Amino acid sequence: MAKRKKQDILAPNKLCLLVTVVPRKKAELILDTLQDFEANLQLEVSSFGTAESFGLLDSDREKQTIFSIIRQDAAPAALLELQRKFDRVRGCKGIAFTIPMTGTVGVSVYRFLSNRE
Amino acid sequence: MTYKHEVIFCIVNAGFSEAVMECARQAGARGGTVMHASGTANASAEKLFGITVQPEKDVVMILVEKNVRDALLKALYSFVGVKTAAQGIAFALPVDGVAGFAPKPQQSENKASDAKTEPRSEQQAAEQKEEQKEK
Repeated sequence: MAKRKKQDILAPNKLCLLVTVVPRKKAELILDTLQDFEANLQLEVSSFGTAESFGLLDSDREKQTIFSIIRQDAAPAALLELQRKFDRVRGCKGIAFTIPMTGTVGVSVYRFLSNRE
Repeated sequence: MTYKHEVIFCIVNAGFSEAVMECARQAGARGGTVMHASGTANASAEKLFGITVQPEKDVVMILVEKNVRDALLKALYSFVGVKTAAQGIAFALPVDGVAGFAPKPQQSENKASDAKTEPRSEQQAAEQKEEQKEK
């Protein structure tokens, strides 16, 4: 039986974890936006912001943290689109960043996360 | 590959998120995001190390520039570390792309002109020279 080469084990498309923090009311908008970038798995977590600003109402501190898994080649375009949303949509000031992922377990899981058959 | 930013996750007992943020601001962070979570711990490890892990947790996520990371981690360990009432654990992850994160604004012009501070970058040094020429 031939030995599997190293490149057979490495994934063709690397993945990254995209973390987006936005006001809670704008979470749906961001979720829909990220689906355009083939984010098949997204996790929402209710959270609170702590940035220093005077006169903030409690509702202004209510945030939604969205964890999405996307392909690394889609990350720059996703970040650019998020920046546009933060700049142009009223009440949608937020922050987003990507963390590179080093591995997953399961071929079907990988296919689902990378949206590649 | 070098990263300009890192994200720090600090997991503390519930109610200590303000302490984490106070510590973070002193170390140079601008803000963070607090999430509530439930923690799990190995019962035998608790007995072995003589600590009791509280289940209700606050997870504080702070995005910082890389040069702030070490100072922030040390500060968190000192003020809200495992040996304190917060029983905090902090770790950093690399960040390779950022949107919506503005750099910390510089101090006011009066303070900059009175105090002789060294410029952070060549661009700032050039700007300072131009200001001095105008004066």
